[in-house]
Formats: sequence, structure tokens, C-alpha cells
Amino acid sequence: MPFDLHFLARLMPELLEGAKVTVELAVLTMAICLVWGLVVALAQSTRGPLGWLAGAYIQIVRNTPLLIQMYLVYFGFSMAGFGLSGFASGLLALCAQNGGYVAEIYRGGLQAVSPRQYESGRALGMRGRTLYTTVILPQVVARVIPPLTNQGITIIKDTAQVAAIAVMEIMKVSEIWVEKSANTYDVFFGAALIYLGLTSITGVVGRLAERRLAFAQ
Amino acid sequence: MVDTLNDASSTAIDGPGDRPGDGAAGQRRPMLSISGISKRFGEHQVLRDVSLSVMPGEVVVVIGPSGSGKTTLLRCINLLEDYDSGTVAVDGEPIGYRADGSGGRTRLPERAIAASREKIGIVFQSYNLFPHMNVLENIVAAPVRVKHVPRAAAEARARELLAMVGLSDKAAELPVRLSGGQQQRVAIVRALAMEPKIMLFDEVTSALDPELVGEVLAAMQQLAAQGMTMVVVTHEMSFARDIADRIVFMDGGVIVEAGKPEEILFAPRTERVRAFLKRYNDRYRL
Amino acid sequence: MTNLNPLYHSFWYLLRGAGMTVLMAGVAIVPATLFGMALALAQVFAGRVAQGAIVVYLFLMRGIPLLVLLTFAYYLLPLTGIDLPPFWGVVVVISLYYAAFMCEVFRAGILSLPIAQWDAAKSLGMPRGLMLRIVVLPQALRLAAPPFVSLCANLVKATSLVSIVGLWELTMASREIVERTLAPFQIFLGAAAIYFCICYSLALYGRHLERRVLHGH
Repeated sequence: MPFDLHFLARLMPELLEGAKVTVELAVLTMAICLVWGLVVALAQSTRGPLGWLAGAYIQIVRNTPLLIQMYLVYFGFSMAGFGLSGFASGLLALCAQNGGYVAEIYRGGLQAVSPRQYESGRALGMRGRTLYTTVILPQVVARVIPPLTNQGITIIKDTAQVAAIAVMEIMKVSEIWVEKSANTYDVFFGAALIYLGLTSITGVVGRLAERRLAFAQ
Repeated sequence: MVDTLNDASSTAIDGPGDRPGDGAAGQRRPMLSISGISKRFGEHQVLRDVSLSVMPGEVVVVIGPSGSGKTTLLRCINLLEDYDSGTVAVDGEPIGYRADGSGGRTRLPERAIAASREKIGIVFQSYNLFPHMNVLENIVAAPVRVKHVPRAAAEARARELLAMVGLSDKAAELPVRLSGGQQQRVAIVRALAMEPKIMLFDEVTSALDPELVGEVLAAMQQLAAQGMTMVVVTHEMSFARDIADRIVFMDGGVIVEAGKPEEILFAPRTERVRAFLKRYNDRYRL
Repeated sequence: MTNLNPLYHSFWYLLRGAGMTVLMAGVAIVPATLFGMALALAQVFAGRVAQGAIVVYLFLMRGIPLLVLLTFAYYLLPLTGIDLPPFWGVVVVISLYYAAFMCEVFRAGILSLPIAQWDAAKSLGMPRGLMLRIVVLPQALRLAAPPFVSLCANLVKATSLVSIVGLWELTMASREIVERTLAPFQIFLGAAAIYFCICYSLALYGRHLERRVLHGH
């Protein structure tokens, strides 16, 4: 096999430290976005200025690059006086952008439930909370898990960009090691391996979640 | 006579031998020869050694419960579905596989298969027409690009056929603007435009609203009256009675019984057929 | 802080950067689309070996961040002796990355065609090439157009990453100006606004196409 095991053995501890940061960032982002995305989706469903604002928010974060959002937070805030760390800036930007995407996922999931489901539920005498918890929400949950899993994978990949604001996650550690050792090939191999591992695990978790939570389908 | 399950291939008992003008039955070559087709799909044996012969001009209707293999049989004829053993021939020419004397068979090259499909016209249950082309384009696309018929000639023939089914005014329409029945009639015309020797119909009225079924059946009647060889899979029993020269009942991948419409529909010999028809009669009162 | 002067003075510079962004994205979209289409067709038609290779390829592109690929291509390329200008180097990497996602989009379009369409074309005696050309692809591409446009917008945003490996486009241009003027808020907001104009226009076009797809068939 054309890679240097000794080198990788030396590289891995630091790389895994970086991976810890990556995972921290990704998990926090996912957790926050699940809630924040719901808030935005609910806001968007209202009519009036709040709905419009939420819609505008989604369009803005979806149509601007994550990197620019990160720079805006990191450099902009520090200039304004309340400087945020790289990690915090990255987290804020990641949540801002992915919150928009998650809100759209929720909206899509809700829209995909046919109006006939509501009618059937009402015809059986269900109303309000019962209708939603027994009929509608299980279907929404089933429908949103796959795109949310994909979003999780996207988030993990997006964390690599915080290297640009000096956060010691996988990408940044790799950069440093490439400069140090000039062994581009093996560093790349190690970093790619870890990312592939993280994204694959997320995919598996997502599929498991689908199976457990979606049997109501 | 026909007690064994899959011996419907003996042309002596079936076939329009007693139609006026026919020569001695069995002396004309069958337009369609299906010999010993078997197909397994995973654990499930879909077709078991099925054989069938259809004489020129004959209309054979295939009936039977869902899962009996009748649609699969139809799709095997022009090799839309592959089968594990057996051969098919149209007007003497092998389709898809050629029997090689010793009981085996060799697969013909893809180009030959595509060419032989021109001899077989097929109409499906739904999504027949190409939605991004108008009616005329749907009909002439294959003759022009596959058979290299000059466009003017192809369009003239297309309009002729459209007139035959009463859709002359729809030539420039997109399929989405037509009713289901109109679409199916255009689908029939499109298949006819290739001048096939035999036409296959796979439950072509099953997906239609009831009031649209009649126009399609009428077009098929026309075709039969013009002497086209047809194999029709259908649920419409009264139509089967009207159009069929022979009815074939399939169940569990075999031909259970075959014979004249009056025999099969009113005096079936097999219990399975009787049970099937009883269920049907209870619902529709043949 | 709300003084917009720095933005006014540098606006032309930013616009030039935007021009480079659009050029880079436009150039990368072509091979990405062509290669993605080829991969999609191979996935539907090709033999097991080719399909295995494609599955591996898609797994890698889905699981490894684009930034990682860009960075390591940047370091690796000089070592291989290939004399490629950096612009083309990043274009190649971005194209290869997005080809994987284009492949998924095209494949979904092809497979969502009712089987009866394939059957009808085959039954009329059409050989495979003709069938693809006049029946399958016209319909599949129409179905794939909305998500395709969405991917193009993502590709435009992804060009911002090349600034991290030192290439000049809109994001790099804005960083240069910020370093000079120390007005991160205004400049990055200006850059964000430019990105927004480009990507939102694409998004609107995509929505228009989506309506046409729903309407037409």
C-alpha cells in the first residue's frame, strides 16, 4: 500500500484532536439548527412582516457563500468591538446558513403531507394536537430524516472552512502538517480518511434513525 | 382434449380452422409461435413452459387473475423481458433467440433484436405516448428515424391512420391535451405506423375512465376486422367475447385452458377457470 | 462603522472579482455537467466494473470536503510535474467534485421516467442511442433542470473557497480591500450582496423551471 504508516502514526494523534473540534462544531451546529430551523420555519409560515423576514433570511443565507458569512462574523464583529473566537464565529455562521436550509427541509416535509391526511384524521374525529401528533407529525418526521441526514453530512464538510479563521480542526491541522513535513500525500490520505469516516457514520446514523422513527409510515 | 395444462400449442384444436376461406388448419404458418417459454424471477416461477401459436388474422385474448404471468408473457414476445428458456418466432423468423437444433438456443445480436421489434406492435396500459412530442411526431418518429421512411410519406400514412381512428384533428396536439382514450388510440396508431405483423395489447383499457374504454375497444375491433393478428390481455370479458377467435386462460404461469369464447366463458372445463369467471360474473354479470 | 465610503471606492475592484468568480464558475460548470452526464449514463447502462468505480468515486466526492480537495491539489500538483496554471487546477478540481453531484441529479431524472417510455421506444425498434436521444434524455433533462440550476448556484458559491488557496476572485478581492481599509462589515456585506445577486437570480430561474416541469407534463 503506497502510504507511510510511520508518518501516519505520528500524524494521527494531532489529526484526531482536530477531529474532536470538527465533531464538536458539527454536532453543536446540527443541534442548534434543528431548533433554530424549526423556529425559522414556523416564523415563515405566518403571514405578515415576520413571515416575510424569515423568508428573506432564508434566501440571504442560502445565496451567499459560507466563507463570506464567516469572515463577516469573525472580522466584522472584532472590528465592532465584541470579537468572537474563530470557533464561535464559525459556529455562528454555520448555524446561520444551515438553519436556513433546515427550515426549508421542515417546510418541504410538512408540505409533502397530503391534505387528505388532515381530512381523514378529522373524519375520524381527531382535532388539533391529537391530529398532529398521531397523524401528521410521524409522517413529517419520516420525510425529513433523509434530507436532514444529508444536511448533517454537508455540515461536517462545511466545518473545513473554519480553517480559514484559524480554528484547529482537521483542515487546519492538515495544512500545518503539510507545511511542516512536505508530505502532502499522506496528510491528505489521513484527513480524507477521517472525513470519510465521519460522513459515513452520519449516514449510517441517519439510516438507523429513519428505520426507528419512520416505521409509522 | 385439453386437460393437460400447457398444451395449447397444438394448432389442430385451436386456430380459426373453421373460419370461412381458411385452408386446412395447421398448414398455414403461424404468425406467432411461442415455444416452451419459462421465466423465473428470484424464487418465483413466473412462466412455466408456455407454448402458444397464433395464426395470421387470428385474435387471441388472454385472461386470468393478476400475477398469472399474462403480462409477462406479452412482454417476453418482443423481448422487453428476458426469459430463461424457450423461443419466439413471428412469421417464421426467430425473435431474440434462435433455436439451435440440439435443444439449446443462442441469443441474437442486439441490432437484430431491435430490427425484429419492428414486426411487433405493442400498446401498453399507460404512459404510452412521448409527452414532449405532438401526436404526429409521436407517430412518425420511429418510421422516419428507424425505418428511414421519407418524412412526407410517413406523415401521409400517419394522417391516414389517424383518420381511421377518428383523430385527424388532433395531429398537432400534445398528448397532455388528449383524453386517456384518445391517447390510447394514438398509441395504437403509432404502433401501426411501423407496419407490424402482429399487435399486442397489454390491458390497454385498465387505466382508463369507464366512459373512455369504448372508443379504444372500437378501434381494436376495427383492427381485427381488417385482419390484423392480435394478442390481447384484458379484463373486459364482454369485449373478449366479442373480439376473440380464441380465449386463453392463464394462471400461475401456465395456460390452464384455451378454446373458443363460448366454450371458455360459458362452459369452462377447468375448475380454476370456473372460479375466476364466477368471481367476475358476480361483479359484472356477463 | 456604517460609513459606506470604503465600499464605494472599492466597488469596481469587487466587481472585477465578481467577474473572475463568474468566469471560474462558468468554465467549471461545462466539464462538470458533461462528466456528470457521462457518469449518470454509465450508472444506468455500464457493466459492473464501471459501476463499482463510479460508486467509489461518488462516495469520495460526497464524503470529502471540497476545500480539502482544493488544498491538496494545490500542494500536490507542482510535485507531479504537470505544468498547470492554478486557475485551471482549481477548475479541474471543482469540476470533478461537482460532477459527482450532477451525476446524482441526472440519474434521478433518468430513473424517474416511467418505464413505459423506455418500453415504448424499444418496442418501436429504436436502438439505444436513438432512444436516449429523442425519448429519454429530452424528458430526463427537463426533470433534472431545476436541481441542476440549484447545483450551479452552489458551484458559484464554492468558488469562494479558492481564495483560501490563494487564487484571486471576489472573496479574495474583498479580503484584500478589508486588509487595506479595515472596514470588514461594509466590504464583506458588499461582496455578499454581489454573490446574492448572482445566486438569487439562478435560484429564481430554477423556481421558474420547476413550475414549468410541474405544469408541462
